[in-house]
Amino acid sequence: MIVERSKASSPSLPGAADRRVRLIRWGLTLLVVVAAFGAIFSDALRGGGAPYLYQRIQTFVTIFLGIFIEAVPFLVAGSIVSGLIAVFVDQSAIDRYLPKAALPAALVGSGMGLIFPVCECGVVPVVRRLYEKGLPLSIGIAFLLAAPVINPIVILSTYTAFGWGPVFVGRIVFSFLIAAAVGFLFGRARPEEVLRPAICQVHDDEEPYHTHEHAHHHAHDHSHHLPDAALGLRFRQALNLAGDDFFDMARYLILGSMLAAGMQTLVPQSALLAIGQGPVISVLAMQVLAFVLSVCSTVDAFLALAFAGTFTTGSVLAFLVFGPMVDIKSSLMFLGVFQRRIVVYLIALPMLLALLMGVWWNLNLRW
Amino acid sequence: MNVLNRPRFQNALKALALLAMAIFLYTRLASGVLFFYINQRFMVYTVFAIVGLVMVALSYRPTSRRSESDEALHSHHQLGWAGLALVMAPIVLGLLVPPQPLGAAAMQNREIDVATQTRSALPAAVRAAAQKDARERNLLDWLHAFAASPNPAQEFAGQPVDVVGFIYHDERLGDNEVLVNRFVVSCCVADAGVVSMIVRWPDAASLPDDTWVQVKGVLQPGEFNGRAVPIVVAQEVIPTALPHQPYLYR
Repeated sequence: MIVERSKASSPSLPGAADRRVRLIRWGLTLLVVVAAFGAIFSDALRGGGAPYLYQRIQTFVTIFLGIFIEAVPFLVAGSIVSGLIAVFVDQSAIDRYLPKAALPAALVGSGMGLIFPVCECGVVPVVRRLYEKGLPLSIGIAFLLAAPVINPIVILSTYTAFGWGPVFVGRIVFSFLIAAAVGFLFGRARPEEVLRPAICQVHDDEEPYHTHEHAHHHAHDHSHHLPDAALGLRFRQALNLAGDDFFDMARYLILGSMLAAGMQTLVPQSALLAIGQGPVISVLAMQVLAFVLSVCSTVDAFLALAFAGTFTTGSVLAFLVFGPMVDIKSSLMFLGVFQRRIVVYLIALPMLLALLMGVWWNLNLRW
Repeated sequence: MNVLNRPRFQNALKALALLAMAIFLYTRLASGVLFFYINQRFMVYTVFAIVGLVMVALSYRPTSRRSESDEALHSHHQLGWAGLALVMAPIVLGLLVPPQPLGAAAMQNREIDVATQTRSALPAAVRAAAQKDARERNLLDWLHAFAASPNPAQEFAGQPVDVVGFIYHDERLGDNEVLVNRFVVSCCVADAGVVSMIVRWPDAASLPDDTWVQVKGVLQPGEFNGRAVPIVVAQEVIPTALPHQPYLYR
């Protein structure tokens, strides 16, 4: 959006069009920020003047910083892991050990969080780096969606909150299945249809124009594997790449945190919760709540507990399954990896599947 | 070539931005303001983030051997002015707006829980709350205890209460009544819920919203929103300083 990767300005894009794209991105960013503030202002002016407005802004800033400060360690960790992968993991290892067929790939991806425990903020830079190394699409997408739930820490926190029971089992099983299903659906897609151009170009070694200055630039950029270099230098390069990843992802995280904080300051939770108790509407309401709250998956179980008494089990489960997969901040971060169209699918598909699951649960199971 | 795009300038800029972020986090930690934002048990992650950011920032330092830096440390993410501004937004907002914990303003769009929620608490927390002496219980302990009881308004009548919270005037309350509240946080303030007790005190109207008070009193059966709830009949309401940790933790 704003931090331009030099290779994003691909040679096929003439300068003027490039500038227009940049202008549009600028405009959109500005619009989001202005909309968030504008909403706060207009609401405040109706509500009663400057002191009230000031309190609103203060609440907004507190929640924004809360989400950001909570997420930043995980983004730093994810970026550093991503940098280490870039420098120390050999592309051929991925080719050799990971399945390529859609179904096994999707299942492996869903379970990978058990070995690499990362949450929804850390997983994005890791997946992007693995895609640069030629990771099959299905594995990456299933990993991206499942990892925030299918990892030891979150499983433990869910168990602490709900104990051994339908919610605990349901959360794990359905998170696994929905993530695998979405991953499976992308099994037949080609990387260049799904990923941002900058990412899939990297392992496209067949590109014929090696003499072209720009293409040379790419090849040079991503031969991060330097077996000859001293270990210290390689670590330093890993950290360099981690820093670049951090900047690239932090802007999405910051915009997402601002949006989430704006929503929290403006949308009364009670309005959302009052919407309904019906088997369908309650599920939708909890999904919207999960999306808006953008709470870290390690603790959302404790939050869901507060709704367990008053809301249908299917809707609580939808909150616990859908929330970690997609929320405001993570879907913005997806923009750093996938094409915009695909990000819409990555929000809509889990949303639909979780909705189906919740409604089915409400209608067929009595807990 | 724009000066911003020179590799050396880029590296310096990135290193400074990362260091600024680390210093910002460190000052939050050192001043205790961090607890306005996140649960104290996540403090260790913030420490990790500070160390990580400094490490990454140092990796951008200029190398003595030029050839190495050109060959291996060439980076390919250009940080533009707008990107920089966005990454600096948390720091700027954090310094511009004086840090305040969530208070009365944030209560206006939240569910108020005065023992109307049932069976929603952690069993372990409820047990721990039940073992505490009445005077030792904080607002959350009381709400846990109420949640475990089929008829809290009657069951707890006559028990002594000594809690700390901030003042919030709810329209549904009478003139001599006020809500005393604490926000409860599991992770960060994004997941904050609020626990409240109704306090009956003749001078209730004189206490402005967001005043922190210590309330000593006795529980009596009362009513809120048409439901029977325990309320505190205050014997003493003492204004206090903002606690070191303004939130209670789930």
